[in-house]
Amino acid sequence: MKSLSYQSLVLSPRLSSRLLALHSGIVYVFLYGPILLLVALSFNRSPLSARWAGFTLDWYGKLLRDTEMIAAAQRSLIVAVGVTMIATVLGTAAALALARPAVPARAATNALLYLPIVIPEIVIGCALLTFFSVTRWELSLWTVGAAHVSFSLSYVAIVVRARMAGFDRSLEEAAMDLGASPAATFWRVTLPLIFPGVIAAALLVFTLSIDDYVITSFVAGTDSTTLPLKIASMVKTGLTPEVNAVSTLLLGLTMILVWIAQRLLRPPESARGVHS
Amino acid sequence: MKYWLVLLTAIFTAGCTKAPSTAAAPKQLNIYIWSEYLPQQVLDQFTQRTGIAVTVDTYDSNETLMAKLASGVAGYDLVVPSDYIIQPLIRQNLIAPLDKSRLTNFGNLDPAFLNQHFDPNNQYSMPYLWGTTGLAYNKKIINTPVDSWDILFDPKYSGRILMLDDMRECFVVALKRMGKSVNETDPAILNQAADMLKKQHALVRAYDSENYDRTLESGDVVVAQGWNGQMAKVVSDRPDEFAYVLPREGGTIWMDNVCIPTGAKNPDAAYQFMNFILEPQPAAEIVNGVYYASPNAAARQFIDPKILNDRNIYPTADMLKGWEFLNDIGPTSRLLDQLWTEIKAQ
Amino acid sequence: MNKRPAALLLSPTWLLLGGLFLLPLALLIGASIHQPDDAGNPQTVSHWRAYMQSGDWKDNYTESLHEIYLHVAMRSVWLAVATTVVCLLIAYPTAYFIALTAPPERKNMYLTLAVIPFWTSFLIRIAAWRLILQDEGVLNVMLMKLHLIASPLRLMDTPLAVMIGLVYGELPFMILPLYASLEKLDRSLLEASADLGATAAATFRRVTLPLSMPGVVAGCVLVFIPGIGQFIVSDLLGGSRTMLIGNLIQDQFTSGRNKPLGAAVALELTAVVLAMLIAYTIAARRKGMEVAL
Repeated sequence: MKSLSYQSLVLSPRLSSRLLALHSGIVYVFLYGPILLLVALSFNRSPLSARWAGFTLDWYGKLLRDTEMIAAAQRSLIVAVGVTMIATVLGTAAALALARPAVPARAATNALLYLPIVIPEIVIGCALLTFFSVTRWELSLWTVGAAHVSFSLSYVAIVVRARMAGFDRSLEEAAMDLGASPAATFWRVTLPLIFPGVIAAALLVFTLSIDDYVITSFVAGTDSTTLPLKIASMVKTGLTPEVNAVSTLLLGLTMILVWIAQRLLRPPESARGVHS
Repeated sequence: MKYWLVLLTAIFTAGCTKAPSTAAAPKQLNIYIWSEYLPQQVLDQFTQRTGIAVTVDTYDSNETLMAKLASGVAGYDLVVPSDYIIQPLIRQNLIAPLDKSRLTNFGNLDPAFLNQHFDPNNQYSMPYLWGTTGLAYNKKIINTPVDSWDILFDPKYSGRILMLDDMRECFVVALKRMGKSVNETDPAILNQAADMLKKQHALVRAYDSENYDRTLESGDVVVAQGWNGQMAKVVSDRPDEFAYVLPREGGTIWMDNVCIPTGAKNPDAAYQFMNFILEPQPAAEIVNGVYYASPNAAARQFIDPKILNDRNIYPTADMLKGWEFLNDIGPTSRLLDQLWTEIKAQ
Repeated sequence: MNKRPAALLLSPTWLLLGGLFLLPLALLIGASIHQPDDAGNPQTVSHWRAYMQSGDWKDNYTESLHEIYLHVAMRSVWLAVATTVVCLLIAYPTAYFIALTAPPERKNMYLTLAVIPFWTSFLIRIAAWRLILQDEGVLNVMLMKLHLIASPLRLMDTPLAVMIGLVYGELPFMILPLYASLEKLDRSLLEASADLGATAAATFRRVTLPLSMPGVVAGCVLVFIPGIGQFIVSDLLGGSRTMLIGNLIQDQFTSGRNKPLGAAVALELTAVVLAMLIAYTIAARRKGMEVAL
C-alpha cells in the first residue's frame, strides 16, 4: 500500500497528529502573541499597559508629530538604503565569484564570509568602536553605515550563493559560445536567473540594517540616533505607548519585506536549510 | 504595500521640512548631558534666538561620560560632568580650559559656588546645578518616618528597593552606614563596604539612574535612592504619599558643571549656549523645569517660589551638616570599579 | 583555470571585510594586551620588548579568569544551555508537524510563518515581553482577574524573564534546522519500520530521531552560540541585576572604563564560539552528516 502516508504508522494517528497540530498551534501563538499584543496595545487609550480602555489612534498621531522620532526613522531609512545597495552589489559579486570553479583562496574567503555572522554582535560592536577610535573617524551616520555594511555583506553572499546551488553553468557557457561578452552574459543570462535571490538578499539586508541595535549602539555618534536606538531608550524609560505604535509600524514593515523575501527564496529542489 | 510607500514618503517629506543635520544647517551644537536635565523649551528658545540647531544625547553616570569622551570620536561640544570627575577629565586631557572672557554673563553666578576644590578659579568648568543624593519612600506603605540609610537594607522590603546605578553613590550609602567618609580610600574598608552591597544585591529590585522617580511613583518599589530634583517633583506632586529624606548618617552633596570637551567642533556655539543659560530667565526656566537648585544668583527672582521654598531642592545649611562632596580618589577608582563589577555580577 | 574573474569579483569584498572587519578585530586583540589608563583607553606602550617580556600583556586575560568573571561566564553558559534545551523541546514537535504531519500545500506557509519573526527586530519583540511580564502587565492582570493570584508575580528583572526572552528570540533558530532535517527524511524508511512490526514510539526512537540528529545538533549550535553572547535580553528584561557576559563586556567599554579588559573578555567569548563551531563542523563532516550551515 504505497499510497499510505506515514501517518498511518504512528500510534492512533489522528490523535498524535492532532496533538502535534495543537502543540504547533500553541507555539505559533507563543511566537506571535507578544507581537499581536504590541499591536493591540498601540491602539489602547490608556497609557498604562494592560488594561484596555478603548480604541484610539492618538498614539500614532503623537508619533507623526514627534520630530525626533521622525528624524530617527529618516536616519534609519537613509542608512538602510545605502547599506542595502552596497552590500547587495558586493555580496552578489562575491557569491558569483564563489560559484565559479576557479577561485583564489576559496577556503579562506568562505571562512571570512562566515565570521561576521557567527561572531557575537557585541564583539563586532566593540571592535568597530575601537577601530573608529584608533583611526579618529568621528562617530556619525557614516560610521553606522560602514558598520552595517561590514556585517551584512556576508548575509548577501551566503543567501545568493545558496540560491545559486544547482545553478546551471552551461547556460552561461552557451551564451558565451554564441558570442556574448562576459558583461552581456551577466546582464542577460546570469542576473535574471539569480534575480529572485538577489532581491531576497537585498530585502533581508534592508531589514537587518533598519532593525540593528547592538552594533549601532556602539558606533552611533551625535545626530545619528537611529530608530532602534530611539525605541530602546523609550522602552527603558517606559513612558508612553507611543513606543508600541512605532514598534508596530516597524514590525509591520519588516514583516512584509521578509514575507516577500521568503516567497522569492522558495527553495529549489536541492534544498539545504537556508537559515543563517 | 501601497500604505507603506505612502507612509515612507510621508516620513521622508515630513523630515525634510525640518532643518536637518550638519550638511544643511550652518551652525550646530552637540550637547551630552544627564537625562532630564535640560528642558526642551530652553533649547528651543536658544535655537530661535541664535539659529543654532541643538542635538542632545544623554548619559546616566559620570563614568560613562568619561569613557565616551575618551573614545576621542564622540563629537560633543558641551558636556556636564559632576565635581569629582573633573580632575580625572583634566588629567586625561578630555576637557578644555574655558576662555572666561567669552562668558560675559559669568557674573550672574553666586560666588559661593565658584572656585571649588575640584576646579580652582573655574579654569575648566562653569557651575550648572547642584543638589543632594538621598532617598525617597512611599509613606503609605512605610508608616514610620524614615531617617536612615538602613531602610535600603531592610529584608522586609526585599524586591521593592531601588538603588542608583552609580558606583560612587552606592558606595556612599555603605560607607556612611559604617561611619566613614564618602572619599574613603582604605582598601580594607572599601572591601567591607562592597560586602555590604553584595549582600544587599538580592534585595534590590533594580539599579537605575534614570527612572528611579517613576519606579517609586508607580509602586514597583517602596523606597529608592535618588537625586533630589526628580524626587522633589514626585514629593511635591503627591506629598501625602511620598517623602524625600536626607538620612542622618550623611551623604553626598554634588555640583554639576558645564565643560567643553577637547577638540569640540563648535566651540563658538558652545560659548553662546553657556552665556544663554547664564542669563537669569533661561537659568530660572531650567530650575523650574528640572527641579534642581541653581548657582545662578540673578535667576532667583524668576524661579517658582514653590521651588525656592522647597527644602528638598534648596536645603538649609543646617540640614547639610555632615554631608560631603565627592572627590576624585585617584588610583583607588580602579579598586572601586572592580568591586562594583563584583557587586553587579552577583 | 583563469582565476582572475573570481579575484576581481571578490576584491571589493576582501577589501571591505579586511578593512572593516578583520582590522577592527585585530585592533581589539591589540587593545586586550594593553593596560587601561584612567579613562579606560589602552595605554601606549613605550618599550614593547620589555613589555612583552614582563608578561604584563597577559594581565587582562588573567584578570578575566578572576572568580567573579567566571561566575558571570558560568551563568551565561547555564542560561544558554537551559534555553537550548527548552527550545529543542518546544521546537521539535513543531518542526515535525510542519515537515511530516502538515498537508504538503500548507507546508511552505507554516514555514514562512515560523521564519518571519526571526528576521524582524529582536529589540522590539523582546521589548514586547515587558508588556506581558510587568507587574501590571498582561499576564499578571489576567491571572488576577481569574483570581489565581492575589498580588502580582514578580517576573520582570529576574533570570526567569531573561530565559523566557531568550527562548522566544531563539526559537526560530531551532525550528528551521530541525525542519530542514526532518523534511529530508525518507518516508519509505518509516514505512519499512512499521512493516517490520515496530511501534510508533520505537520508530521514532530508532529511525526518526537518529536521522534528524544533524538538524538537532545544528539547531542546538545555532541557539547556544547567540545565547551566550546576547546582550539585549538581559538589558531589557533582566534589569541591571542579571549580569551576563554581554553586559560585562558593555560595562567595561562604558562605565567600567576598562576597554582592554572588555576586549579580552570579548575575545575569549569569540574564541569559545569559534572553537565550538569548528568542533561542530569537524565532527559533522567526519560523521558524514551534512553541515546544515
